[in-house]
Amino acid sequence: MKVSGFLGIGFVVLGVAACANIERSRNLNDPTVPAKVTAQNVCSNCHGVDGNSISPNFPNLAGQTEPYIVQQLKSFRQHSRSDPAGFEYMWGLSRHLTDEQINGLASYFASQKPIKQPAEAGEAQVSAGKTIFEGGVPEKNIPACHTCHGDRGQGNGQFPRLADQHADYLLKQLTVFQRTDERPEGAMMKVIVHDLTETNMRDVAAFLQGMPPQ
Amino acid sequence: MRSTPYRLLRQLRRLVPLMVGLASVFATFHINDAFALPAFARQTGQNCVSCHAGGQFPELTPYGRLFKLTGYTIGERAIPLSVMGVASYAKVSDTSKSDSPSTDFQKNGSPLFASGSLFIAGKVTNNIGVFSQITYDNYASQTVGPDGEPTGGFSGHSQADNVDIRYADRFIDGNRDLIVGVSFNNNPSISDVWNTAAAWMQYVPVPSPTSHQFIDGTAPYPGFGSGGNLAGITMYAYWNKMLYAELGTYRTANKALSFMSAGIGDADTTKLRGTNNPYWRFALTHEWGPHNIMVGTSGMVAHVYDGGSEISDPDNLGRFKNMGIDSQYQYILDPHTITVQAAYMRQKQEYSANTLAAAAPPYFLADGVTPVAPVNSSDTTNTLRLKLSYIYRAKYGGSVAFFNRTGTTNTLNQTSGFDSSGQITSTDPSETGITSTRVTGSLSGNPATRGWTYEAFWTPVQYARIGVQYTAYSKFNGATDNYDGFGRNARDNNTFFLYVWAVY
Repeated sequence: MKVSGFLGIGFVVLGVAACANIERSRNLNDPTVPAKVTAQNVCSNCHGVDGNSISPNFPNLAGQTEPYIVQQLKSFRQHSRSDPAGFEYMWGLSRHLTDEQINGLASYFASQKPIKQPAEAGEAQVSAGKTIFEGGVPEKNIPACHTCHGDRGQGNGQFPRLADQHADYLLKQLTVFQRTDERPEGAMMKVIVHDLTETNMRDVAAFLQGMPPQ
Repeated sequence: MRSTPYRLLRQLRRLVPLMVGLASVFATFHINDAFALPAFARQTGQNCVSCHAGGQFPELTPYGRLFKLTGYTIGERAIPLSVMGVASYAKVSDTSKSDSPSTDFQKNGSPLFASGSLFIAGKVTNNIGVFSQITYDNYASQTVGPDGEPTGGFSGHSQADNVDIRYADRFIDGNRDLIVGVSFNNNPSISDVWNTAAAWMQYVPVPSPTSHQFIDGTAPYPGFGSGGNLAGITMYAYWNKMLYAELGTYRTANKALSFMSAGIGDADTTKLRGTNNPYWRFALTHEWGPHNIMVGTSGMVAHVYDGGSEISDPDNLGRFKNMGIDSQYQYILDPHTITVQAAYMRQKQEYSANTLAAAAPPYFLADGVTPVAPVNSSDTTNTLRLKLSYIYRAKYGGSVAFFNRTGTTNTLNQTSGFDSSGQITSTDPSETGITSTRVTGSLSGNPATRGWTYEAFWTPVQYARIGVQYTAYSKFNGATDNYDGFGRNARDNNTFFLYVWAVY
């Protein structure tokens, strides 16, 4: 292939690029890009195309409540949620999303089907977690999780779905609530988890990851 | 090491002002942490750890690999410029076995500003993106006086470094995920997204070899015999995050493609015959939980003219055939990042007819009478690299690496030997004997080099790293002891290396 051949291919590629299909866009600063396109071409890289992420570094979004996703994306966009795992990835990605796109992303992921996660913990730990989820820790005045998050952990409005979430992610977020003010939208949780021990948090996270269908 | 720890510390003290100054600058930048990011980070608004495993450049995370495979197009167009600088200090174990330590161990024990790079990188359109690097080497060459002798000074030089311009598209829905793309690049495997690819599996930063010649960056690495600064086009596809395939070919970076070798003089430009210099790469990948693994293979056949030779003469043409296998495992779950890497490459080099014709070995065996064996028309080398690294909170990291190159013995590669008196001399004022090369020479004509590298580093902020490295050789140029014929042992080349690296 001569130099002209290389350049020819270059021009063809440029021509094809000029006709780029917005249906496969990865542009995060274009309000005309449909939310579904962004979900599948950008969000999917970490959260999975169906909202079920492979790595526990990234939360599962499948079946998450729409109001919660909207609230979180707006918190990232305005930099009010500032836990490292959040801002390192999400501040930039959300910075120019429109409200309409955020609503669309929330709708997309809320409608995805959650995949059951493997129950990695032992029976005793899961049982201890179930006890906290369903009954709280009465001696410390810690209410039961299901009171707000639903009896199956399915979430309720701005109270997020917890069922089938990665235990590692849940544990880290409980720690963020307990030890920092990096999630002001969840200030209520700071009070609730204040007296939870790390073992309590590990137990309840383990239970929620492998939460059995009811 | 022959130097006492006290002497080393005394020399390191000279770096203190530099370190304090840099730390002050980093502390200032830290205030604007989330905004003070290089080109790609500005484009996506994300931190470096999103794409680089544990913030350890250039190793990519699964997301970073997808960012590259989709043509550097995620995000929005931003100022596509970044700069990088390296300050370093190196100390070789033994500098005494040399005719001219100031020449053989240039800048040994001297803190220096080693190199800097300008990156032009970023999204161009929704499908096209660029990663390109122009590097200034502050110690590119040693200046020579009118008498032809080194003056002790250096001259800097800038040239095109890595160039990767790519077009990519992705077809993804709930049932399939196919990424396809085309890369125009100047270095075989620079288009790759795994850190065990030949172009990427290297401890970085790598200062100029003329200033630090025995650090890990100059130790054997798997690589393609063609070298870089070529012009290539490769096409790739990644299917369901499971199977990766890339095919391409390379040619000389000349005429309208000369920007890919910009800054390199004609005599130093790698010249290939035609465009039939194929490159290929296949990989299988899998992710589960915080783990991911890749097992792959790559290869290239390159028809390369001897450096600086006349390309109209077919007798100046040699050939490299490379084939490698590599594997990378990553565990990434905050705050831990663990990477295990293995790369093995076999290279066969067939020498040009003119190289062979001009390569009558001048040396004798130790008896001073029997000539050494005639040269072989080809050589085979096998290079193995293993590396284990761990990073905590994307700030504190360390690694250990093993390298081992073996290969055929060939008197063509012998640069030290006995003369007709059974002597080995490195200077020959009467010009009646045969000279040998000290320090970098080879008495055996065998390339065997083996050793370990240990590194510890600290990343105080995401765009700066301070690291210490120690490279220990158990074999060098074919021997453990007396590899150059003048009593220099492999362990004499052991090198301590300290660097401060910043990118913005």
